[in-house]
Amino acid sequence: MRLWQVFIKSVREQKRDLWVICLSLVFAPLFVFIYYVMTGSTGTTSYGVLVINQDAPVTLANGTILAAGEDVVAGLRDLSYQNGSPLLKVTLVENREVADQKLRNRAAAALVIIPADFSTKLAAFRSGDISASTDLTFIGDLTNPYYTVAAVMAMTAADAYSQAFTDAPRPVELVEIPLGASAARSEFENYVPGLFVMAVVLMIFQAAMTPMRDIESGALRRLRLTPLTSFDYLGGTSLWLGLVSVGAVLLTFATAVGFGFRSQGPIWLAFLVVAITSLSIIGIGLIVACFSKTISQAFVIANFPLGFLMFLTGAAFPLPRYTLFTLFGHSFALPDLLPPTHAVVALNKIFTLGAGLKDVVFELTALTLLSVLYFSIGVWLFQKMQMRADRTQTCNR
Amino acid sequence: MPTTVLQTEHLTKRYGSLIAVDDLSLEIHEGEIFGFLGPNGAGKTTSISMMCGLLRPDAGRVLIHGQSIHGGAPAVRARVGVCPQEAVLWEKLTGLEQLEYIGSLYGVLPRIARQRGRALLEALGLSAKSNELAGKLSGGMKRRLNLALALVHDPEILVLDEPEAGLDPQGRVLVREYIRSLARCKTVILTTHNMDEAERLADRVAIIDHGRLLVVDTPEDLMRTVGEGDVLEVEFSGDASPGSSSISSLVPAIAARFFASVSTVNHTLTLRGRGLIERLPELLQALREADVRTSDVRLRANSLEDVFLSLTGRRLRE
Repeated sequence: MRLWQVFIKSVREQKRDLWVICLSLVFAPLFVFIYYVMTGSTGTTSYGVLVINQDAPVTLANGTILAAGEDVVAGLRDLSYQNGSPLLKVTLVENREVADQKLRNRAAAALVIIPADFSTKLAAFRSGDISASTDLTFIGDLTNPYYTVAAVMAMTAADAYSQAFTDAPRPVELVEIPLGASAARSEFENYVPGLFVMAVVLMIFQAAMTPMRDIESGALRRLRLTPLTSFDYLGGTSLWLGLVSVGAVLLTFATAVGFGFRSQGPIWLAFLVVAITSLSIIGIGLIVACFSKTISQAFVIANFPLGFLMFLTGAAFPLPRYTLFTLFGHSFALPDLLPPTHAVVALNKIFTLGAGLKDVVFELTALTLLSVLYFSIGVWLFQKMQMRADRTQTCNR
Repeated sequence: MPTTVLQTEHLTKRYGSLIAVDDLSLEIHEGEIFGFLGPNGAGKTTSISMMCGLLRPDAGRVLIHGQSIHGGAPAVRARVGVCPQEAVLWEKLTGLEQLEYIGSLYGVLPRIARQRGRALLEALGLSAKSNELAGKLSGGMKRRLNLALALVHDPEILVLDEPEAGLDPQGRVLVREYIRSLARCKTVILTTHNMDEAERLADRVAIIDHGRLLVVDTPEDLMRTVGEGDVLEVEFSGDASPGSSSISSLVPAIAARFFASVSTVNHTLTLRGRGLIERLPELLQALREADVRTSDVRLRANSLEDVFLSLTGRRLRE
């Protein structure tokens, strides 16, 4: 039976290319595992909420002290999933500037400001002065999908407390202030920063396959006979790939603008971000080329880092952030080791919040350092594994 | 005294326990065509790779005009041009573009590279295809372009790995004549399995097997001194059959006189020995004196293939 013979032949071939079949099989299960770990084994996410509590406690007629601000904060902290995991990760902050910065960096999803007369007004309201309603201010980046969840949860908790205390419906007005120009963004515009990064990340195929063409055809061996240095070869190749990346981003940008996208911040800064990101992608592409023997193998292997770069960096969709440590006011999580993570944050700030150079210095610095690191590793490995005198010669005598 | 252009000194390369090239020492002279022969897996490619600087030896060294090719100045390597066995081309570049590209990597000025490129394409019968993408050329054209790429930087030494493989007879003649013309101004090292190619082209040949150099000499001297020698077949006519008593008695005498191995099958007497061609008149005279009439005489000189098989055996190698 011919069908069976074709099947057997395919099995035999694939058995002899175990590396590729293993990567193909492991890809999705690995991401299931990573997502399980990243979203927490219990499947719960704590949404970061910042609170500026300006409330001054008051003494009630019966002599008890009312600290409504503190009570609301406690209420926020008490919100939990059925398994007891906290729903909100509440952090008290002193001033608005620090809070805004954290919101811009997406280190927190929402900011709640409790006014100074919160207790006083609630006490008056409870005593029958219905004109004494107070308000709670919610601030956040409306393009951050976590903001909505965090704000709804926090509002529910605050409302529940105030209604229970006053025994009246809606004694507290909820005021929402969008961060930057986030309120004016369409849903389409919210996706554009991720698409910019995707345009660069997809260059990993070109970056891996361009040198592979020379390796597979034997041309690299011919080039090694010439005075061409690794720097010349990889520099020239990278320059071209960098240009293609910029071209891809320009085209992406033009298409997005054509469909109504408007950037709030300087475009040149966004292009600088993607240009630096492309350096790291080229480096990762070269690393892929080091472990490939053919173009098709490079294509399959490149999908592996692509998955990490797309799904763990926030380029495709946001993931909860688990801080490993904090340094100079910046929290660090595992995805921070991937350059596009910083590119996504920077582009969100530029496009949505109208950030300028000084607002993205941290992201730009981290992105540059990581990009140089990945590129250097790629160049070093490629030089060592593909361009050294002994590399491509096998013992065919 | 010929000038030594390329010299290998105790060149050795190991792959684990396998010694691919074992203590290879030889000298290649200016302007000669040097054939590098050996069965599959004999160590030819490894030796050539070390000679052109692609592979680093475990021991020994390769000198070009006294300068080491490994770790030396890039200019030393640039004295060598290599034409690999497989056509290594950039399929999406035209012939002329590839020649200009490789020329530029060797530091040849664009104008000169273009001139040289055109001249090479002309000499190798490719000028009509100079602006054709390499991917669209026929197999033979690709191989000729492959050769041109090895020459565009005007190297002093040209290394050719199986230069006639994959060429049709017309292409073979063209390339052979071109290589011969190059030898006036360049040193050519060629590896081949084709003994006829080596015999026609090479001034000297080296035969290696199991990584060791077996012999280096001119093809003529090798054919004269190595192997069983020339083959002479004498066919008898009339009643003088090989089984007759006169012939039977003649065989040992001929064998002793001409230092040849002699066998008889049907009406044919086959002699094999060195220098038989030169002694053919003497042999025919001896047969006449013995009253043996011959109807046909066929001669085949000792060939390089005979020398090769005599030195390396007939066992298949891989």
